Amino acid sequence: MKDKVLFIKRDVIPVVKFLTAAKVCAFITIIMLVAPLAVLAEHNGKSPVYLVGSGNRPLDDHMRTLLEKELENPKDLTVITAEQAVLADGGPIVTIGPAAFSRIRQANRNASVLALLVEPDFLEPFARHSSGQISGVYHGASLLRQALIGKAILPQATRIALISTTGSAELYEELIDQLPAYNLEARLFVVDDEKQLIPTLNRALSYGDFLLAAPDKAIYNPRTIKHVLLTAYRRNRIVVGPSRAYVKAGAIASGYVPFPAIAQMAATYLQTLHETGKFPEPDYPREFRTEINEQVARSLNIPLATQEQITRSVERRMKNTGGPGDE
Amino acid sequence: MPVTNFEKSTPPVLVCYCTNITAKALLASLLLGPMVASAQSASGAAEPLGFYGFSHEIPEVLTTTRLRQPKTRVPGTTTVIEGEMIRDLGIMSLVEVFRLVPGMVVAEVGSNTPVTTYHGTVHYEQRRMQVLVDGRTAHRATLSDMDWQTMPVPLELIERIEVSRGPNSAAYGINAFLGTINIITRNPADTAGAEMRVVRGSRNYIRTFASVGDTSENYDWRLAYEKRKFGGFDYQLDGDERVPFHNGHDINTFNYDSRLKVNSGFNADIRLGVVDGINEEDRDKNGELGATGNPDIDVRDYYLQTQLNFTTSQNHFFHFQMSFENYDRRQSWPVSIPESAVDCLANGVLVFHQPNLPLCFQPGGTPLIADINADSEDSRLEFELQDTLLFSDDLKLVTGLGFRKDTYRSETFFNGRGNNYQSRIFGNLEYTPVTWLTLNGGGNWERTTTTDEGYFSPRVAANFTLSNNHALRFVYSTAVRTPDGFEQNPDYGFTLRNVRPGQYAAYEGYRVESTAIWQHPNLVTLGRHLEEERIVSREISYFGLFPMSTGQISLEVRVFKDKLRDMISGVIQFDDWSIDNNVDLDQQGVEIEAAIEYPGTTIRASYGYLDQDGWYSGPQIYNDDGSINNHEKQYNVELLGRMSVRHSGSLALIQDLPFGLKGSTAYYWADKFRNSRFERIDFRLAKRIFQPRYSAELALTVQHYVNEEPDMSRANNIEDQNQIFLEAGIRF
Repeated sequence: MKDKVLFIKRDVIPVVKFLTAAKVCAFITIIMLVAPLAVLAEHNGKSPVYLVGSGNRPLDDHMRTLLEKELENPKDLTVITAEQAVLADGGPIVTIGPAAFSRIRQANRNASVLALLVEPDFLEPFARHSSGQISGVYHGASLLRQALIGKAILPQATRIALISTTGSAELYEELIDQLPAYNLEARLFVVDDEKQLIPTLNRALSYGDFLLAAPDKAIYNPRTIKHVLLTAYRRNRIVVGPSRAYVKAGAIASGYVPFPAIAQMAATYLQTLHETGKFPEPDYPREFRTEINEQVARSLNIPLATQEQITRSVERRMKNTGGPGDE
Repeated sequence: MPVTNFEKSTPPVLVCYCTNITAKALLASLLLGPMVASAQSASGAAEPLGFYGFSHEIPEVLTTTRLRQPKTRVPGTTTVIEGEMIRDLGIMSLVEVFRLVPGMVVAEVGSNTPVTTYHGTVHYEQRRMQVLVDGRTAHRATLSDMDWQTMPVPLELIERIEVSRGPNSAAYGINAFLGTINIITRNPADTAGAEMRVVRGSRNYIRTFASVGDTSENYDWRLAYEKRKFGGFDYQLDGDERVPFHNGHDINTFNYDSRLKVNSGFNADIRLGVVDGINEEDRDKNGELGATGNPDIDVRDYYLQTQLNFTTSQNHFFHFQMSFENYDRRQSWPVSIPESAVDCLANGVLVFHQPNLPLCFQPGGTPLIADINADSEDSRLEFELQDTLLFSDDLKLVTGLGFRKDTYRSETFFNGRGNNYQSRIFGNLEYTPVTWLTLNGGGNWERTTTTDEGYFSPRVAANFTLSNNHALRFVYSTAVRTPDGFEQNPDYGFTLRNVRPGQYAAYEGYRVESTAIWQHPNLVTLGRHLEEERIVSREISYFGLFPMSTGQISLEVRVFKDKLRDMISGVIQFDDWSIDNNVDLDQQGVEIEAAIEYPGTTIRASYGYLDQDGWYSGPQIYNDDGSINNHEKQYNVELLGRMSVRHSGSLALIQDLPFGLKGSTAYYWADKFRNSRFERIDFRLAKRIFQPRYSAELALTVQHYVNEEPDMSRANNIEDQNQIFLEAGIRF
């Protein structure tokens, strides 16, 4: 019994001391967090815009510079940390990348958040649940644009192979409905588990003139992409998408949105929020560009137009068909 | 102690906090990986390792120089037939694929033995093209012709076939005389899952294919089985009378293909295969010494192959390949030798010599009954080391060493066993000094014990390219073909076994030598040392891609002028042996290959024009009376033109149709084999079913033979000009 009491005492003392220290730390932290925000809140009548970076310094700095250019008053933009977001009442928060967005959602569920450099499959559930409060500017190209990039490279193509998991199949639903207007059709091949990926891919390649890859990490990730690309190329099939990084990895092309266009659209969304109190629905910027891999094209004996020509061809097709490019 | 405990307990909280931050930062950087790469690229930083790290695994045209090259940089014209096109056109046997290649013709000789060649020459014993299956030499080791019927290559497993048209000894050695066929089977990773296909059709055509395989991070494998059964031609002619033709086959192949990935820099391809079955031979075509039964061939082949692939960096990789192939053919048949012929043998009278026929083939008497065989077993052991060094995108070097040991065992053909050895060194340098010019220089030095000489075969080429889509090539190459073991060192004779009746017991084990039965003794060249055949080839070719708004056109035109010297011509038969380096040929012509691809439509055309001049250049041939035998000289020249058709080509259309249907039609022609013209039109209609978890196909193929007249041989007859095939396949 004596031993037990002694044991409890030994444990309690440091905990009490720690709690006291923690309170002091927390107080100091709150002061440090609130002070700059309080100053900013007084800067002008308009709510400040907070920016939460990705952690990648050059990327964050680049996006901040572009956003500052687009905003009416560059001083409206304040870089904060995710922890500071707890106290960022009122002002919209712009996040860079999915991780920053997730941190902000954990820290402050009431904040209006504009997510940049995210994909639809990531953001849409949040945006649907908190319409007007959560929005974003997608950084890739829409699947329709990606499909038309494939068509521009391979004009004779009529069939597009798509691969998804059961969970990610909805990524392609809209695309499959859109394609007939462009004299294209697509078929979805479902992969139930990782072992089925290559057999399913082979069947898909028998169907499609090219493989269109969406930003679906369950299918296309650093571990699978080499197998996917090599399997496709051995069958003389090209792979389009899902992003510029995959073009470097061996996809023949992918659409992407230049950072200035993202910043411009973000500024427009922030202005809309300011005027209406709500963000527009998340979307891709109208402007996009095409990244191509000339070495792959040469290897497969595919005559490849320039990036600009491919982009223009996609825009022309969308305009002629009254698609989103004509917005 | 308690104080110490307290102090100790605090840091972990801070450490935990810091670790948490670090983890989040790490997570953020992982999630943002691709974007970071983009940002870096945008700012001009170095590109991350990606495509370039495995670009050497992407198929380009690889046969011509062993380097993977786009067509604009290849030093020569190369036809690539994709496996999918083969299947879409409803091609029913491997050899028929070559009807799609400009300048190549396909025919059947003997008992429906398929032969194919580029730029013709002889119809029997085709041995002037190098044929490779996944880099493994595929022609028989010593009787070095090709046996297409027993090739362990199911049509479903063909990834693509590359045909390098023109001499290619610079890359593949002395047999790549007229061209090189490289059959590339599908990577086991690409066939993971299960597939089954059955095809039934006219003339008892049966083909059943099944494969199963899997792929994983470290190991890809496939096990495949194919049964090929075919009745062959329907009948042959005896005078004007139709008589049965025993010329079908029933072949089973088993293949195991795998790739073991040890690490990112090392993997190993391991392949095994077995071929087993019966290739029917008609006694009127192939039986020797008065066959009374059909000399069917019992096929028992196998092969082992391993290729160790090393990638030391993205710019340097090499492989070491070892293969062992064994061709075991058992062929025996009963014979009935007239008593008078036995007497001739006993008395040293040439049995088949024209003046002796009345003496040696008299009616009556008791014939000698025996069994004879043409059993043979060839083995080939081959080693190859190939190194590829990419100094830059504009300077690439491939070099290598090779060694081959051919072993032959046959009581009939060699009266025992023997070996031939070949060793060689090869290389090719591709250099693009300016964007519009690519230079290729390569060569192969080889030594073979069949002639005990060494040969150097060079090739140089200049490709002038324009905007990556057009290339004008100038190619000069030379090559040699050395005689094979049987041509150079035959010891031909049939050993009599199971001799009966008893009066001939002394003949049990007696070897009937070809020297005892010569039909034309004054023409016999047996024992004459054969030299190598030589070819000098000059090529100007153009390759162009024309993109259109709704499709693309590709066009390849080859103009060639080849000089073939010291060609080996003559007859290789048990009772006639007249081969020698005795014919020179000049070949010139033009070949065109074009394809148009529209949405849902592919049109492909090929055409070859060959103008061949030949003349006798060997030792003088005399008749029995001492006069010059111009007939025999001309015969030798003509033998080298049996497959050299002036016009040949194909026209194919593959069309997507509504309701998931796919149609195709193809027209093939060759004009002409001696006096006949080959023409056939194929139609295929397939219903393809793509479900999320399986794909299936049902197809009907009709082959319509335009001409009633048989081609190549008057024995090659079919009853019905329309041949029908049904197929069904499923893949999971």
